[in-house]
Amino acid sequence: MKLKILPPSLREKKRYIAFEVISEEPLSRDDLISLIWKSSLAFCGESQTSKFNIWVMKVWKYQLEEHENVLRGILKCTREEVNPVRATMSIIAKFKGKRVVFHTLGISGTIRSATKKFIKPKE
Amino acid sequence: MFYDFHVHGNGKLAKEAKRLGYHAICLVFHSNNYNQEILEIYRKVKKNGSVNSEYPSISIGVEILSKTTEDLKKNIKEIRKIADVLIVHGGNIKINRAACRDPRVDIIAHPYKNRTDCGINHVLAREAAKNEVAIEINMNNLLKSKLSIRSRVLSQYRQITKLQRKFKFPIIITTGAHSIYDLRTPKDIIVLSGSFGMAEKDAFDALYVTPRNIIERSKIREDVIVNGAKIIR
Repeated sequence: MKLKILPPSLREKKRYIAFEVISEEPLSRDDLISLIWKSSLAFCGESQTSKFNIWVMKVWKYQLEEHENVLRGILKCTREEVNPVRATMSIIAKFKGKRVVFHTLGISGTIRSATKKFIKPKE
Repeated sequence: MFYDFHVHGNGKLAKEAKRLGYHAICLVFHSNNYNQEILEIYRKVKKNGSVNSEYPSISIGVEILSKTTEDLKKNIKEIRKIADVLIVHGGNIKINRAACRDPRVDIIAHPYKNRTDCGINHVLAREAAKNEVAIEINMNNLLKSKLSIRSRVLSQYRQITKLQRKFKFPIIITTGAHSIYDLRTPKDIIVLSGSFGMAEKDAFDALYVTPRNIIERSKIREDVIVNGAKIIR
């Protein structure tokens, strides 16, 4: 039997972090997830990571003039732990011996506004 | 308005820094590589920075690598004339001490390098505050280390932050980038600095106020005769 959904006041408050990844080699969605989890466990530890409630929501391929392998995505985390998650992401430097860099584009309360503002902004 | 005052690189790196939100950067070369040819290349990039809106405004910095204090003094005297920003490669306690005591020095780069302590004590902190020598926290050391070494680096950063809160010497956070993969956005750096106990305002000052003061001091340096007196042209 499925559990009944919690009322909104009891649900965990969340934030969506829009990010950009530039890498030497092309990365898949699974690579991204493993990178973020490994970095979080190493940098913050198991106890702290359990509070983050990390979830990669969406990933897009993106084109930038000077870089070949660019991905943009949205990551969900708890509202209170936005800064540690951001720090965890920005500390990532390597994946399987190749250089990688994460840049945070912005933080938003909904996926829609995160996409509109940071992933696909109107020019 | 953010500044990154320790970038080893070229025009491509400068362009990327601008995209990430840096208003100005300092392209740094080592004193042992110094020759007229390199200086010309850097000046060309600097000129691009002032003309092209794709580039941030660029200053030229020289990082002095000296093994003895006599050598350091000689190099400072020689290089102060050509560099906008004078950086001393720290790590050796004697070099750290000599650099803290010299008002001609702008920044001591990574004073904790290859050490177990942070390379700065209360005496040096007081000297640095008196002579307005900025102590650098180089993020590259944090990004390129792992596990136990990373925790040691974080502890060194924490010690410097603690001393800074007490003695109020200028502190500067840089990326120390050699490639685009070493650059981080200013806001990410501010958040990351929270992990070694630096307050958000202090991190902001380290990325904006301290570098701005260095640039302003560099502009009037030629006119200053002694501390507190300058020629008005």
